[in-house]
Amino acid sequence: MIRLIRAELLKLSTIRLPYGLLTIAAALTALFATLEASRAGSAGTGVARLTTASGLSTVTTVTGFAMLLAAVLGAIVTTGEFRHASATLTYQATPRRTRVLVAKVIVAAAAGALFGLVGGVIATGVGLAFASGDHAHIALSTGTLLGHIGGAICGAALLAALGAALGSLVRSQLATVISIFVWGIVIESLIGGLFTSIRPYLPYTAATTLAGAKLGNAAFGPAHGEAGTVGPLPFIATFALLAALAVVVSVVAARTTVARDIT
Amino acid sequence: MSVIEVRELTKRFGSVLAVDHLSFTVEQGTVVGFLGPNGAGKTTTLRMLLGLVEPTEGSATINGQSYRDLRAPLHVVGAALEASAAYPGRTARNHLRVQAIVGEVPSSRVDEVLELVNLTEAADRRVGHFSLGMRQRLDLATSLLCEPEILILDEPANGLDPEGVHWLRGLLRDIASQGKTVLVSSHILAEVAQTVDSVVILDHGRLISHSTLAELTARDRQAVRVRTPRAQELAAALAACNATAEFLGAEQLRITGATSEQIGTLAAEHAIPIFEAATEATDLEDVFLQLTAAADQTQTPP
Repeated sequence: MIRLIRAELLKLSTIRLPYGLLTIAAALTALFATLEASRAGSAGTGVARLTTASGLSTVTTVTGFAMLLAAVLGAIVTTGEFRHASATLTYQATPRRTRVLVAKVIVAAAAGALFGLVGGVIATGVGLAFASGDHAHIALSTGTLLGHIGGAICGAALLAALGAALGSLVRSQLATVISIFVWGIVIESLIGGLFTSIRPYLPYTAATTLAGAKLGNAAFGPAHGEAGTVGPLPFIATFALLAALAVVVSVVAARTTVARDIT
Repeated sequence: MSVIEVRELTKRFGSVLAVDHLSFTVEQGTVVGFLGPNGAGKTTTLRMLLGLVEPTEGSATINGQSYRDLRAPLHVVGAALEASAAYPGRTARNHLRVQAIVGEVPSSRVDEVLELVNLTEAADRRVGHFSLGMRQRLDLATSLLCEPEILILDEPANGLDPEGVHWLRGLLRDIASQGKTVLVSSHILAEVAQTVDSVVILDHGRLISHSTLAELTARDRQAVRVRTPRAQELAAALAACNATAEFLGAEQLRITGATSEQIGTLAAEHAIPIFEAATEATDLEDVFLQLTAAADQTQTPP
């Protein structure tokens, strides 16, 4: 298994796509963190002043895009094999296909963690830069800020693993990537807006809460910013929920599409 | 000893019967051509052999085991199935480095195979910028990386220029001289005729012929061209011996159904002078086309 993981890591590190996605994730995080910081404290924005813990954390937890792109990266790890017909060679070398899937999910999670780290560090950096620029008191402790970055790492890693599992199930790269964006940006937003009680269980929303985001702040539609009455699940429960989801999708993929003919 | 054994192998894709109860064996240390027109079922058969496609019926084994049960498959079988199996954004060297990790061979072997297929200078170029011929060479390098006992190559000459085809023949002969087993598919018999010991011919997923090249050429009724001033008399004498003579000119005959020795003896018996006699070279492609055309006729309803 170590051999397969090394091979998958080398595969991922020797193409340009992951670096491009990471750059986009970093740029989007910086952009949205800057936008949130700029409007903090203004009337009607719903973002408190950066001198408050709530206001500062709104900026430092803008890691949703990095997580979404981590899921896309995970999907590319698995679907790329079918898009470029390299699955033929991969399964020739390792006929036990489930082992390939496990290695890919692990490598996707590791690469996703890097997206979470980069997103978390940039969002925190922007938040602290704006707060210190205003000579404001830093309302969040170092431990809390590090906890948010750690949560972003976990959330991005789990979503990347889920993306890899989903990619194995769907096989089509375009369909998987579109599904991830539509699910994260549209469907969770609509479902979360209509049924606030299930928000903590929606995978993308749940992942963002690991990084300290408020429920609803990850979404764009009717649910955006809406407080609701339900809080996020405990960190461990959210982590377990996302991990279980990645495992279930992986098992379904292993028993269905992964075993299919490679023609 | 048979290293590849295909028994009653059948694959159905929906209503399409791609491979139909195909059986053949490949002996250790031989080079076998796997021939058939496009769509004959060659690639599907090779994919079943490599565990990529699940047979509907029958079995395909390597050293008595199914491919999926081989302990170190890359060291047993090296296969090149298609020229697009490498990720286009990765360099040739990195593509081989990935395979070297999976196959547990030292990275120095990567440079060796790159040199073997004349790709050293292009090693750090992205595969997407390669010509089809270069991709074929890379696939060959990939298949040779772990020094396997058996090579399975699917249409390796596709996309190669004449020089490349010549090089490929030399490479296959070199591999064969090392006692390795090679199964090489093609839809052009002439491409592999100079390299193979025997040929398996299939059409519409069915086995048409499995024979040595000598047996295959013997199927063709070889013709002898003869120049004689008494062509009419020789033609009459040949007709009495059940041979057929076709007039190509007043003094030229094309004779089938008799060897040059038989014709010479007959002419001597009748005191007919022979100025020139030449056996026509057997056109393997014609034999191949005759075989597949005959198969087509048996498949097509009247």
